[in-house]
Amino acid sequence: MKLVIDESRCKGCNLCTMVCPYHIFQEGDRLNERGIIVPKLDRPERCPNCRLQKLYGRRLCGACALICPDQAIRWEEEKPYEKHKVVIEY
Amino acid sequence: MTFMDWYREDRLPHIYCTGCGNGTVINCTLEAVEQMGWAVDDTVFISGIGCSSRAPGYIKTDSLHTTHGRALAFATGVKLANPRLNVVVFTGDGDLAAIGGNHFIHACRRNVDLTVVCMNNMIYGMTGGQGSPCTPVGAISTTTPYGAVEPVFDLSELAVTAGANYVARWTSYHVKELTKAVKDGLETPGFSFIEALTQCPTAYGRRNKLRQVSDMINYMRTNVILIQKKQRMLERGEAVPEEKIPVGEFVRRNRPAMGVPK
Ligand code: SF4
Ligand code: SF4
Repeated sequence: MKLVIDESRCKGCNLCTMVCPYHIFQEGDRLNERGIIVPKLDRPERCPNCRLQKLYGRRLCGACALICPDQAIRWEEEKPYEKHKVVIEY
Repeated sequence: MTFMDWYREDRLPHIYCTGCGNGTVINCTLEAVEQMGWAVDDTVFISGIGCSSRAPGYIKTDSLHTTHGRALAFATGVKLANPRLNVVVFTGDGDLAAIGGNHFIHACRRNVDLTVVCMNNMIYGMTGGQGSPCTPVGAISTTTPYGAVEPVFDLSELAVTAGANYVARWTSYHVKELTKAVKDGLETPGFSFIEALTQCPTAYGRRNKLRQVSDMINYMRTNVILIQKKQRMLERGEAVPEEKIPVGEFVRRNRPAMGVPK
């Protein structure tokens, strides 16, 4: 699974940057075509949902998707599956 | 299935301002409804007037967008006419406490089997930032340009006193706790009241030196205190700082309820 921000919905409030325990969301620095600064994703493959959603059969954590007031955060299927090397610091 | 399946995606993005907490509260409510496993056809969302009350328009189920403050009156009617429906009410502090105040206390007294989610942003956001019964003392609004002087309505305490079966308060920062509280409310027969403090950066924050969304979130994060902790502090005779907002589960009880399907 792949974590994505839907740029057509995000309004750039940066609430997602405040809740992720891995600090995957970082404040962006570039205006998109709608004039909104969308957060950047810092190594999103560290999110447990990207790695383990299939294994557990349910959504884990999900705090960013719940707090996003504009329903812009979601996980997408990856096809073909791209292998990632994931380093998780404790 | 996730809460996204309950949204009318053709209507998104919604009209709420950047960083408005109402979207978060809708997410949490829909997540709780989703966890209950309810069917779209058996669920009704009802709202009055205000920013919060635009919520049912973005949800797939049947909904009623009613007159100002009267959401609970319509909801009582829907529930008593067909007790098999699951009725959830979205409302705001102005809608519920000011204009619909009487409906609120009597819905609590009758203990009708409803779940009410109140998005308390402490101001009338949609009509331009007038002070509401929940505007904190000292806060600036368009009707209190020198700072609000009136004492504040504590909606959760009011619901406890008026007789609701389940009362909880959380904020739009505490998404997991809020989801759990809404789910507990949906499970409890009788009147369930969940107050969600939300940030309103446009009408409230802009006038009260909380212009950034993160300022309002930090205000809520640092100023809440768990109600059990507050009670422990009171028992030990310690002073609880004035500005602390108690959050958590206020009451869960089993008074006789109306409109529960037999
Ligand atoms: S689901 Fe949790 S860990 Fe994953 S990106 Fe969202 S907040 Fe971060
Ligand atoms: S919380 Fe949602 S709308 Fe706000 S910046 Fe993050 S992705 Fe965008």
